[in-house]
Amino acid sequence: MSGAAPATRPPVAEPAPGVSMAPGTPDAALVLERVSRWYGNVVAVNDVSFALGPGITGLLGPNGAGKTTILHMLAGLLRPSAGKVSVGGQVAWHNPPMYRSVGLVPEREAVHAFLTGRAFVEMAARLQRLPDPRAAAARAIATVDLADAADRQVGTYSKGMRQRVKIAGALVHEPSILLLDEPFNGMDPRQRLHMIGLLRSMAEAGRAILFSSHILEEVERLADGVLVIHAGRLAASGDFREIRRLMTDRPHTFVVHSSDDRRLAAAFMAEPAVFGTELRDGRLTVQVAEFGGFTRAVARVARSVGVSLFEVAPTDDSLESVFAYLVSRR
Amino acid sequence: MTIFAEIVTITLRALLGRRRTLLMLLLAAIPIIVGLLVRTNARPGQVDIGAILDGIVIRVVLPLVALVFGTAALGSELEDGTAVHLLTKPIRRSTIVVAKIMVAGTLTAAMLVPSTVLAGVLIAQPGSDPLPTTFAIAVGVLVGSYLYAAIFVALSIVTSRGLLVGLGYALIWEGILAGLLPGSQVFSVREYVRGIAETLEPASIESIVGSTAVVYAAIALVAATVIASLRLAVYEVRGSD
Repeated sequence: MSGAAPATRPPVAEPAPGVSMAPGTPDAALVLERVSRWYGNVVAVNDVSFALGPGITGLLGPNGAGKTTILHMLAGLLRPSAGKVSVGGQVAWHNPPMYRSVGLVPEREAVHAFLTGRAFVEMAARLQRLPDPRAAAARAIATVDLADAADRQVGTYSKGMRQRVKIAGALVHEPSILLLDEPFNGMDPRQRLHMIGLLRSMAEAGRAILFSSHILEEVERLADGVLVIHAGRLAASGDFREIRRLMTDRPHTFVVHSSDDRRLAAAFMAEPAVFGTELRDGRLTVQVAEFGGFTRAVARVARSVGVSLFEVAPTDDSLESVFAYLVSRR
Repeated sequence: MTIFAEIVTITLRALLGRRRTLLMLLLAAIPIIVGLLVRTNARPGQVDIGAILDGIVIRVVLPLVALVFGTAALGSELEDGTAVHLLTKPIRRSTIVVAKIMVAGTLTAAMLVPSTVLAGVLIAQPGSDPLPTTFAIAVGVLVGSYLYAAIFVALSIVTSRGLLVGLGYALIWEGILAGLLPGSQVFSVREYVRGIAETLEPASIESIVGSTAVVYAAIALVAATVIASLRLAVYEVRGSD
């Protein structure tokens, strides 16, 4: 990671509702201004800026990209090494009163196992000094669909139930800002669907919600806007469809086995979608500019030169390579 | 219920986990067992209540029990992540710290003050009055419980190895160095406990600090509480990435 790199603007897709790259946005609920965070020599977050308003934003990136570090800085649990983090117009670090309007659902499952779900949420309500903690807790528990299990000890809960009880604890005081770290971990499809509906309705009520995920489909189904993080940098931000397009239109590398690799390689070079071929150790690799264009052309080209195709396989379709590509696109 | 009482309640429930409580009760029973042994085996005119209680309660059992409760009250919650739910609430950090010290100190005292008194009464020879000495040491133990608790709570915030560092303090600093370098006893909770006992009953124990122990103990208690609050206010919770 190049810590000395100048401040660069990440590639910006069309701004989605709620996502803006300009930290000066007046009503932005969550703002990072040129924020970096390092642990000793390791840079976890590198010069990241964004401003988010109401709505749901997904913080997308592979594991270890810096998502939790960003969420914890927003939640006031980590001091930024450089830059400014503000939440609801207040500085996030070293500012406990901020938690009146902020709820955090941490990734770790830690909840005292001896508490019942209801006791945990009521405790959160009392620590928030709510006038009627019991009623507020009952509401929050109903919201996350946990009423049936509320009087069981958290120690007996499944992973998904623990996730939901933490969410109930985080939204019991109806915060205007909700931060969730990998909220869908451990949930079954039905619970996921319920949680998506829940977060959507909370966003429609005007809340700013930021959740992290390493799963593309989760973000796609839920988020209005998306921030893509890779290796501590903001790789892309904006509307999800736009980012999806960037992701599919990126260069790909294919490995091709055929009856005559050499002839096929020569024929590929005439294709506009192909910008490089390499024949080494009996393996033909083809660099293509665009996924779709090449997959449509490959069979036609092979047929035109009379070569039989045995195998066409993309080599780098991992999410990791997608993120790496987005970061390198500057 | 106030915020303070809320934190006290949850901490009490977390600390009174079955195995830890049993273990601490066993430790607290040691002075009583020793008292019984002395009562049944000692020859008349042989026992010194002050010396026995000093050797067992003040030197061994008190720092150990306070260490376990003090580092567990907040340290284990910081370790396992449950503290995040507390840290992300609009609560003054000093409130959290004072509540944790209160619980750790009260639990330590609740186990060791009765144990000290019982041991003192058991040790006493027929015809002698054990109460002044026993009472003086019990008061010292009471103060020491909160003081040790405050120091170990602070330690558990400053370092994730609070238990180890605390053990090092009790064994090496108070146990060995204080004997070799008498000047270091000015910075030793054990010495404050002895000083308080001596102040209340001069015949009970001899200490170096004497009645100034009260001042030292007060300063140390305030300092540990303030340091713990300041450090908790800038405590960082790292994530998995």
